[in-house]
Amino acid sequence: MTLLLHATPGEVMRAVEVLQEFGKAREIPDKTLFGLALALEECGSNIVNHALRGDPRQEFQVAIEHTGGALIIELRDHGPEFNPTLVRVKEPTADDEDQPPGGWGIQLVRHYIDEICYTRERGENVLRLTKKLAQATGPE
Amino acid sequence: MPLEIKIQRDIGSQKTGAVTVKLTGSLDTATAPELERQLAPVLAGPVKDLVFDLAQLKFISSAGLRVFQMARKQLKERGGQASFIHLQPQIQEVFEIIKALPGVAIFKDTAEMDRYLAARQRSHQENH
Repeated sequence: MTLLLHATPGEVMRAVEVLQEFGKAREIPDKTLFGLALALEECGSNIVNHALRGDPRQEFQVAIEHTGGALIIELRDHGPEFNPTLVRVKEPTADDEDQPPGGWGIQLVRHYIDEICYTRERGENVLRLTKKLAQATGPE
Repeated sequence: MPLEIKIQRDIGSQKTGAVTVKLTGSLDTATAPELERQLAPVLAGPVKDLVFDLAQLKFISSAGLRVFQMARKQLKERGGQASFIHLQPQIQEVFEIIKALPGVAIFKDTAEMDRYLAARQRSHQENH
């Protein structure tokens, strides 16, 4: 399933809702689906707010694939080259109460996703998120 | 999923002066700006204790956590505090993963929160 979306927060959440329906229909556990939805929200928001600078005329693409053993989300945008797998996240400390929030999104994606793969293809950022599923329910 | 925001004063059994913000639905990149907008007049007032009741919050992302952090920082500057109650397991896990809000109070139920806020209120009164 592939979605072509405008660069708005509402469109990011439309993709998240499609993912949740897609996952429920395939009996993916709620906890797994929550993590996938969160990863898609974070990566989609990053595209909208940074790569495409919140310009609703710009578009990006989200593809969702279920292979039986995994659920894969692929995001494509034409923004400037940006590899989120190279982002370094500062480890917060107990007395670091006013830490800046930068990096929270990628921390969450790394927690919930098993494989994060970035490539630059013909002027596009291509981010592929793979979540292995505990119980195979058959490919499509 | 939309976000429903209810802002109430003194929701517990005791008059603690706290403002409670009940969130229902999804606090995400699309809905976080509305929460920030509705919190602005509350934070502009004299409130010191703000309690976020997350019993019906199903989804949260870093966009929502940034609003919590903004509120927490503003309250801290005036000697106040942001607290959280009734976190669903998936929401609590997000808090724990990014250690986003160190030092905030998280309560399992209203009784525990009431006791804490009443003690804080007594402490405020003794200091003034």
